[in-house]
Amino acid sequence: MQEATFLILTALASGSQHGYGIISDVEAISNGRVRLRAGTLYSALERLRVDGLVRVDREEVVESRLRRYYRLTAEGKRQLAAEASRLQADAATAFDRLGLAGGPAR
Amino acid sequence: MSDPGVLERGYRRWLRWYPRSFRAEYEAEILALLTDGAMAGQGRPAPRECLDLVLSALRVRLRPRVARSERSVFAAIRAMWIGTAVELVTVVTLVATMSAVRAHTLDQDPGFTAHQWHATVSARFEPNVIGGLVAIGFWICMAWSIGRGHRWPKVALPMFFALNLFGLLDGVLHDAAATSRPDLAAAFVLCLVELVGVVLVFRAKAATCGYPPLP
Repeated sequence: MQEATFLILTALASGSQHGYGIISDVEAISNGRVRLRAGTLYSALERLRVDGLVRVDREEVVESRLRRYYRLTAEGKRQLAAEASRLQADAATAFDRLGLAGGPAR
Repeated sequence: MSDPGVLERGYRRWLRWYPRSFRAEYEAEILALLTDGAMAGQGRPAPRECLDLVLSALRVRLRPRVARSERSVFAAIRAMWIGTAVELVTVVTLVATMSAVRAHTLDQDPGFTAHQWHATVSARFEPNVIGGLVAIGFWICMAWSIGRGHRWPKVALPMFFALNLFGLLDGVLHDAAATSRPDLAAAFVLCLVELVGVVLVFRAKAATCGYPPLP
């Protein structure tokens, strides 16, 4: 799973969000490292909808502009959890081999 | 102060890079996001925004629009790319083995003249090379069409398989002297890949390319 996909799914894990909300959340989750642009976001959302990981929750019209909220499907939650477990296991192995069993020094 | 309508029209122009179905689904949302995020006084789309829209649009146009869970479809697409690679190797093999075929033919028939060789090149090699290049285009087109959920590969791929199988059998049974072994081997591999592609395309469920309705 690509990092942008992982971050979008993570942004939607706690509830439905609209496009701008996802971009802001992804930036916050990645500590400002990943800033999605509109084209990239909607291209990824389309792929995730086709794969059945994300679906449209509801639509609103705010100040005559369409605002659509997206949410994770059950399959999206399952795949995000699987990917998070995989990353966690890989990170634990890396820390272990670096002699940093408890994670990086803060 | 710049006219927001001009900025919106600018974004709309760049959004035309996307397929029509994608625009129908997402254009209003993307436009709202872009115009809301525009800096005060911004009169035209920023180069980075334009580049992002163009690259994303190309990605949307070229990638499969079938769910990844449709394993047969993705296996069929991989088979088409293998076919493209084998066809490319076939064309290169044809060109590279021309002198070996000529030497083999001279061994078999010492009276084989230069004029006869040129006639063979015109009648056999050139059409095969051109046909191979056309076939490469066909394989790529098939990979794209299968990924978009089109139905016509179910008709075109078996026909392509039958045509190449006929060519292979013809080469083995009638023109073995004018056909090199690597050429025959590549044609055999191509037929196998096509057969696998045909089976996978027919095993795939009807692709679902539409968007699910709102709850």
